[in-house]
Amino acid sequence: MTRTAIIGFLSQNLDWRKKPDAVSVILMLVGAMGFGIGITYVLGMLIAEGHAAFNTSSDMAWGAPIAFYLFFLLTSSGLSIIASLDTVFGIRVFYPVAKRAVFLSIICLIAGFSVLALEIGRPFRMLWSLPLGMQVRSPMFWMGVLYSIDLMLLFVKFWLLHQKDWHSRLSHFVAVLSFVVCILAPGTLGLVFGMMAMRPAWYSNIMPMYFILTGFTSAAAFLLFFTSLQSREEADGGVKTLYDEVLPRLFFVSLLAVIGMRFGQIITGLWSNIEGLEASWLQLRSPLFWTEIVAGLLVPTLLMAFQPVRRLPAVQFLAAASFMVGIFCARLEFLIAGQRVPLFRGHWAGYVDYWPSMTEWMLVPAGFGLLLLLYGLGNWLLRLGDRPPQHIAAE
Amino acid sequence: MPRWGMVIDLEKCTGCQACTTACQMENTRLPGENWQDVLFYSEGEYPSGQLTWLPRPCMHCENPCCVAVCPTRATYKTEDGFVLVNWDRCIGCKYCMIACPYGVRFYAEEKQKTQPDIREVFPASGDRVWDPPYQMPKHKQDPTHGVGIQPKNVVSKCTFCYHRVSTAPPGTKDLDPQDPALREHTPACVVTCAPTARYFGDLDDPTSKVRQLIAEKRGTRLLDQLGNRPQVYYLAGEKPAIPETRSVRENAANGA
Repeated sequence: MTRTAIIGFLSQNLDWRKKPDAVSVILMLVGAMGFGIGITYVLGMLIAEGHAAFNTSSDMAWGAPIAFYLFFLLTSSGLSIIASLDTVFGIRVFYPVAKRAVFLSIICLIAGFSVLALEIGRPFRMLWSLPLGMQVRSPMFWMGVLYSIDLMLLFVKFWLLHQKDWHSRLSHFVAVLSFVVCILAPGTLGLVFGMMAMRPAWYSNIMPMYFILTGFTSAAAFLLFFTSLQSREEADGGVKTLYDEVLPRLFFVSLLAVIGMRFGQIITGLWSNIEGLEASWLQLRSPLFWTEIVAGLLVPTLLMAFQPVRRLPAVQFLAAASFMVGIFCARLEFLIAGQRVPLFRGHWAGYVDYWPSMTEWMLVPAGFGLLLLLYGLGNWLLRLGDRPPQHIAAE
Repeated sequence: MPRWGMVIDLEKCTGCQACTTACQMENTRLPGENWQDVLFYSEGEYPSGQLTWLPRPCMHCENPCCVAVCPTRATYKTEDGFVLVNWDRCIGCKYCMIACPYGVRFYAEEKQKTQPDIREVFPASGDRVWDPPYQMPKHKQDPTHGVGIQPKNVVSKCTFCYHRVSTAPPGTKDLDPQDPALREHTPACVVTCAPTARYFGDLDDPTSKVRQLIAEKRGTRLLDQLGNRPQVYYLAGEKPAIPETRSVRENAANGA
């Protein structure tokens, strides 16, 4: 009886009888391979050497895994904001991407949490010591609370969309709540760094805004990246408008905003002479910084600047991939910059050098592999292109 | 209830690192994991260059940001002034290491600074980081106060020798290592300091030695502008070891 019920439930909600398309198959295969290799290597090294397999130290306490975690979580929040543009604010042009954005948001969170779990010393202890500790003064506590709520709300929101419930009161309520949380969560993550007065390279009251903005831009890039893989030949007018015009333009505009903000940060860092901000000069010699500037900002901005070019899926793919590489490096560079000047000892003791170990780098295929694998599965089984029937009729 | 604090007289400190070694032995720390360290700075160039140094334990701040950032309350402040880590609650997120302005927190799960890796020479069974032949007696080891050999994947720091100080006779205002009755209750770094540059006592008692020294010799707290209000005070005298005292000295010299 139970077995029949489960099979019935799955058949009703998963398109598992449908033959997966080529893109989904490739994504699943690449993802499974990356995840398998990455996670095997990382777990093997962690078992053999513990966290000494990372190149972190008491001076560079947070390393690459935290940067990768930032990348996934902020992208997730950005995706959730984009999904809210229609479900909360009624901007109908975004309907075709809403369900896909919610799904991507969920799997980005899963990938981010998985990477974090491999970095935290005692991840399972978090389950009881965080709620029992209730340290409300800690931004990290609130980050944990808000991202947990975020994940739960995203699951509910996706479930409602999957049940084709786009406009009920419950659906709207969940969407609004999810939007509020997906603003608060990356904002709090920004405060985890921005409140650290003892680390001038991070200390800033606009850090939450920077995190939300770059997360949003990452999300636009993510959506362009994944949707440019799908054929748009048979898409109707609404979908074409979204993918050919609206989304690339949104990506371009948010890129300009990121450039403006980064310019402000860089120039302030180079001009100021407070101890700790030497990191701004040091990063001029970092390949990560220049990857961010060239691949993350200049290349995608140029590619997205002209209307006839930015509508081409190949260009969108290239611009999005370039930005993702750039912002990935930016997260790592940001993390290193805050810790390059040793606390209290200052530059007298020399700067802290750090480059991720092989184990840390292998978290990249592990994290992205998991993401691609889950996305491929979702793309195959979960009708990610669903829209409300009224929207289709209006076309 | 006393509020324990330390005074370090930089005019008497010779930078001999005996405090560092005593702390290592007392608390069974790994090589390089110096809860109590002496930082050396060279300043200027020949012929006017000079070498200065600064002993640096945990400041056991009155308003510690490591306590505020710890999401699980593993780091906590006791009523009698200690800032401690409960190793049974710590998740190893290392946020306290990010937030401590004095850089006095440590995480053992990293590449060791010296070889061979002493943890492999004296491997521990179970959850502990290592199992050296000479270590604090088992009955004194107390993970809830961060005392003894730590478990893996948690953060550690100076405890002001909590296991010694917390057993001091009630009403004690100064823990003077010259007094045989108080010696075993005094922090190891204070006991071992050959030039007696360290003093330990009750900061809330106006008649304590530490309070008198702070008042009479212009006790200074490090990075006071950050608002953590350390319970370790430095007596800099004419030594240029502390940036905080330079402007004071210069103003005094200029008659300001």
